[in-house]
Amino acid sequence: MTETVTRQARKTEGGVGLGDGLAPTLDPEVAVVRARTVTPDLRRRLLSGDLAIRAASVIAVLAIWEFFGPSLNRLILRPPSQIVAAFFDLLGNGELQVALVQSVRMMAIGFSIALVAGLFIGIASGRWRILFNVLDPWVSALYSVPAVALVPLIAVAFRYEGELPHIATIALFAIFPILINTQQGVRNIDPGLMEVARAFNTSERRLWLDVIVPSAMPFILAGVRLAIGRALIGMIVAQFLISLLGLGYLIVVYQNTFRIDKMFVPVIVVSALGVVLMGLVQFVEGRVAPWLRREQ
Amino acid sequence: MNRIVVDGATKRFGFGALTVFAELELEVRDKETLCILGPSGCGKTTLLRCMHGLARLDDGRVLIDDVEVRAPRRNVAMVFQHFGLMPWKRVAENVAYGVELAGLAREQVSERVSRYTEMVGLKGFERSYPYQLSGGMQQRAGLARALALEPDILLMDEPFGSLDAQTREILQDELLRILQTPGVRGGGAPSTVVFITHSIEEAIALGDRIVVLTSRPARVRETITVDIPRPRTVAGVVAHPRFVELRDQCWRLLRERMTA
Repeated sequence: MTETVTRQARKTEGGVGLGDGLAPTLDPEVAVVRARTVTPDLRRRLLSGDLAIRAASVIAVLAIWEFFGPSLNRLILRPPSQIVAAFFDLLGNGELQVALVQSVRMMAIGFSIALVAGLFIGIASGRWRILFNVLDPWVSALYSVPAVALVPLIAVAFRYEGELPHIATIALFAIFPILINTQQGVRNIDPGLMEVARAFNTSERRLWLDVIVPSAMPFILAGVRLAIGRALIGMIVAQFLISLLGLGYLIVVYQNTFRIDKMFVPVIVVSALGVVLMGLVQFVEGRVAPWLRREQ
Repeated sequence: MNRIVVDGATKRFGFGALTVFAELELEVRDKETLCILGPSGCGKTTLLRCMHGLARLDDGRVLIDDVEVRAPRRNVAMVFQHFGLMPWKRVAENVAYGVELAGLAREQVSERVSRYTEMVGLKGFERSYPYQLSGGMQQRAGLARALALEPDILLMDEPFGSLDAQTREILQDELLRILQTPGVRGGGAPSTVVFITHSIEEAIALGDRIVVLTSRPARVRETITVDIPRPRTVAGVVAHPRFVELRDQCWRLLRERMTA
């Protein structure tokens, strides 16, 4: 519990970005003291009322919505209590699980393709200038086209066959932030460290493992975070435009039948999916890049 | 006996527009510490990089043990002004980096890591990340990484240049102590040291000889022998009667060219 709250607090305070690639020097004694002060820091935050104000804000808005919403617009502003009831309705008849599993499966496959391809192309083109020059015009061109505009093309290209065009759409939405960030990360490696590696007679393989990938890691992770948001957009857009599947299907069906309370359920589930995936990235970050997780 | 010979070395930058040094001649003798002293921008760092095969000369050559240098060698190690530690490796992993690449067995690597982290005074910090260390401690790790290779030539590029005055003096003393330890200096580990600096005091404290370079395009202005006996400490050197004379001599040589 404490850990979750601290992380949340850190995230809201500017969090982890590209800027903290370089370490401020501080004594181990200082580092230890800082680690210990996390708890008093949290207590101060609680006392200062940050969390209380946040909670109050959420409760107040929900309460106003619950009690006054229906009197403003009975159709659209269904009270939160009804949305909760609708959630259990959809869970009870299994509709929500089916849609969620389908969406998560397409998301997982599409995102994995984007991740592997984006990392590979990004690292290779960041390392070798020729490849960069070959790919860059195409990457820039594709990245600047609004991805939504390409969805009908994907649908036709994959002949509307089941989940394939959906997976391709998710991959298309997700790949560019990963690819471009990885590329930039590799191109921004500290030349000093490259020289150290050469001075100690590194092999190309060890150069990638010791220097290139860890150096680019903050960029890669930032790209992955951006890609998650875009992949979710791609997922829903595909479910709207290509064929009615998954959570997007639920949204459209309940929109058409004016069951706005039920329509809210998949919307909230999609945003919850985003939150979970972001949390997953943060967890992975702690594992693969523990040196990034420090107090600034 | 000469270990390193720099023979007619010329380096130009910007497609030949800027000559950093021209027809430079110097030699580094076996088991000496040679300090190369020169004004900023005279190509000291570039010269050292050429000695290690990290940069190419435009003319002339560098010989180590009579063989022309083309790429870094296993018996030569380098300490960098910017420390060059990998932020994602712990101190022990950073120290192990060079020996691992040299292909030593795992037990040998860990044995060297513990010996040299202790030698530079980092015992107890093996599991720290560089960002948790002060600048001085980071450079101790950089030094341990180079020493762990047990090189017989150590190239040091203004290693203490970015440290504050006190830390700097502490590390100069540590370096003197390490190089003067009989086991190290006599027994294979860095017997020959090339030390780049722009600090006159540092050059006198550490060097057996000092090569004073002129400003760009750099040439050897003069070579001075530091006739202060070892073992030395920084305080001892500064208090030595020859210190002031040597310092004035270096200062005159440096200033002569700057005002000209």
